[in-house]
Amino acid sequence: MISAGLAVARDGREVAVMSQAEIVEALLDFIGRPSATEAEFEALALRLFAYQFAHNAPYRRFAQQRGRTPLTVRRWRDIPAVPIKAFKDLTLSCCPPDEAERVFMTSGTTGSGRGRSYHPTLAVYDRSMLAGFAARIMRGRQTIRMGILFPDEAALPHSSLAHYLALAKDHFGTEDSAVFVGPGGLALDALLTFLAEAEAAGEPLALLGATYAFVPVMDALAERGRRFALPAGSFLFDTGGFKGQSREIEPDAFYDGLSAAFGVPRSECLNMYGMTELSTQFYDDGNAVCPPVKSGPHWIRSRVVDPLTGQDLPEGETGVLVHHDLAHFNSVSAILTEDAGVIAPGGFRLLGRVEGAASRGCSVAVAEFLAAAQG
Amino acid sequence: MRILEQAGHLPGLPAEAVGRRVVEHRAWGETVGVALPDLREDQAKALCGHVRARARETLRRMETVRIVEAIDRASACLLDRAHPLRRKAEALLPVVTGYDRETVRLGLTSYLKTFRRPQLLRFLAEDFSNPGVLDGFQPAVKGGFVRARGPDLLLHVWAGNVPALPLWSLVSGLLVKAGTIGKLASAEPLTAGWFAHLIAETDPELGECLAVTWWKGGAGGTEATFLAQADCVMAYGGNETLTALRAKVPVTTRFLPHGHRIGFAMIAREALDSRRAGTLARLAAQDIVRYEQQGCYAPQMLFVERGGPVAPDEFARHLAHGLAALASRHPRRRLDPGEAASIAAWRSAHEMRALDGEATLLGDPADPWSVVLLDAATGLSPSGLNRSVAVVAVDALADVPALVAPHRAYLQSAGIAAAPATLFRLAEDLAAVGLTRIAALGRMTAPEAGWHHDGRFSLLDLVTMTEIEASAEAAAEGFAPYAD
Repeated sequence: MISAGLAVARDGREVAVMSQAEIVEALLDFIGRPSATEAEFEALALRLFAYQFAHNAPYRRFAQQRGRTPLTVRRWRDIPAVPIKAFKDLTLSCCPPDEAERVFMTSGTTGSGRGRSYHPTLAVYDRSMLAGFAARIMRGRQTIRMGILFPDEAALPHSSLAHYLALAKDHFGTEDSAVFVGPGGLALDALLTFLAEAEAAGEPLALLGATYAFVPVMDALAERGRRFALPAGSFLFDTGGFKGQSREIEPDAFYDGLSAAFGVPRSECLNMYGMTELSTQFYDDGNAVCPPVKSGPHWIRSRVVDPLTGQDLPEGETGVLVHHDLAHFNSVSAILTEDAGVIAPGGFRLLGRVEGAASRGCSVAVAEFLAAAQG
Repeated sequence: MRILEQAGHLPGLPAEAVGRRVVEHRAWGETVGVALPDLREDQAKALCGHVRARARETLRRMETVRIVEAIDRASACLLDRAHPLRRKAEALLPVVTGYDRETVRLGLTSYLKTFRRPQLLRFLAEDFSNPGVLDGFQPAVKGGFVRARGPDLLLHVWAGNVPALPLWSLVSGLLVKAGTIGKLASAEPLTAGWFAHLIAETDPELGECLAVTWWKGGAGGTEATFLAQADCVMAYGGNETLTALRAKVPVTTRFLPHGHRIGFAMIAREALDSRRAGTLARLAAQDIVRYEQQGCYAPQMLFVERGGPVAPDEFARHLAHGLAALASRHPRRRLDPGEAASIAAWRSAHEMRALDGEATLLGDPADPWSVVLLDAATGLSPSGLNRSVAVVAVDALADVPALVAPHRAYLQSAGIAAAPATLFRLAEDLAAVGLTRIAALGRMTAPEAGWHHDGRFSLLDLVTMTEIEASAEAAAEGFAPYAD
């Protein structure tokens, strides 16, 4: 167990280092208070930075290299953000890694190695997920019948998405909710029966899964000339993109396809944007227009920065997203993503991955070089 | 101010019938719209037919020296700073490519000097022991006679944003009397067309045998027509582009690809004394700054030998200083988000290594250059481009061939600063792993006339030889009116 401590700045200012138990308690309390102010967010962010700086040695070196320490940082925006690639190369954890209750790993589809996030307890992750999901996906309703297009936690114990969907199903799914991806892959016939039952019963239904998992279902429906008209109140939920697991479909075509196949308006096609390196998710309010504005709850903040300097870009300019997630307390709360985005009223628009540029001349650039090395 | 410039050179097609696609380029506070030709199917066919016919009818009969004269005069116009096209080039290319004015001005001059008469003769002499084979049958060493013919229709697919780079292959094609159609790169769509206009002004007949156009690569349309009509396709681009293109070229058509490459430099301990190290660092910085490492010959990694009076880390600081000094005279191009992300990704990867003490990043992320010092011998890998470079400390330069060998397919140029014996020893080992060009530091981005690009022959690869065997010649004697 990590205990509390105190560091003293040269100006006599004290920077308290909280214990893990205090952090968890403070976070659970903060998540439960939607009225929390900007100043309270900032105060907690700074306390968390002091905690991570004290107990996460690689992060401390990273921050020191940038001249940022708890004694010099006064605003949450100045807390140094770690590139998400670092989660592959370094062990970023405040607790000893083997004491973690759960380790989530990235799927490893991009590049070598898998990023790891260590969770000494899932209490904060779970509270964060449930609060966000209730507010943005359930939107006042208690339960709904759920079909899940993703393997369960037993099959993928290190997948944060498998855990996320298990939480969704256990807390917000009706008894007859079901998972349709098993060891044999997608159980298409069972899924079609499930959808047909809901259609016949006139009972709303939610279909949740990885973005790429919807593609073979749409293809199969098109092949069979079958369309569903899911009852009013139904919604579709996708996340994670295509990840090379299915063919890529442009967002507008994808949501048109979903809407046509399942008879659900695009405004009820909800997308979640999350990452293994975070403990909080972002949502949109439907994909009637792409790309929609995405936003998260009050314990996460996003910035759009110049990837080179880490400086905030003026509103409206496209840059790289930095997320500051208080709930990701054990690892690093501030991460520099590889996602392009632009700040919009109420949140940000996600513009896909920032691809390293191909060389515009005839020099070989890293992307092509790596592709050849792997191919 | 917004300028609209018509790109390309389209003999035989009425200008008013040609569709155009306008692409805007912005840099240094100015905007240039470039109207790229966008031909219909029938126009593409007509253009191929025109160039092929005129090449057969006139180009074949021209003496090579006449073509040399025309290219020489066109180059002279572009070298003349008072010539309207040269002034236009100096005004528009910085906006189109984003490079600063001085870089463009100096680069153009240094490059165009390669295409004057003496240099063109060197091109010819480099590939042909007797360039007369391009004009008629010449005696062959083994007996009989040989003649070299360029393709009737040579298609160039250019790529990249290095100004005037297409001229190399354009000139090579003309020298072997190929009917020539070039496809402009969107990133630098002007110089090739200007050069073609100058040729046409100088020698209208030659100008009819040469066209410069554009199409959207990989998008169907007229691309298939051009590829099907050509006898030879010379293509530049990344491996993915080249693979896709090769798949569309008929198997009977000669395909000459030039893919993307990586350059590097090596500095021996004997060059690393306090008198020379600073100068070498400045020269290396010039190679890095010129065209922002977009050219295949630019260094992306510098291997620096330990044991000299100036240690690798000190050399890295000299280099950083050199880059900082050049940045004020030649400001870096404005980077687009993808380019900035490439540098950021490269820097952050090294930042992670730095946490374990294996790397030192010099300078601030906001500086318009990045130098990283790697303390352990490290295999060749690309930098983030746009003035980012890794300095790798090695115990002995003899270790470097093994460090670059795995990337044979990407090797091309190395800049070497070493004593003659070392230079030649290293050259042997580097040649063995696939390197094709060694230059002095400061000259990496300015290959000399007659350079064997990627180890190939600029002219010889384009031609087909026709032989009259000695037997035919001897037999012919039997049918001569004077035969006994």
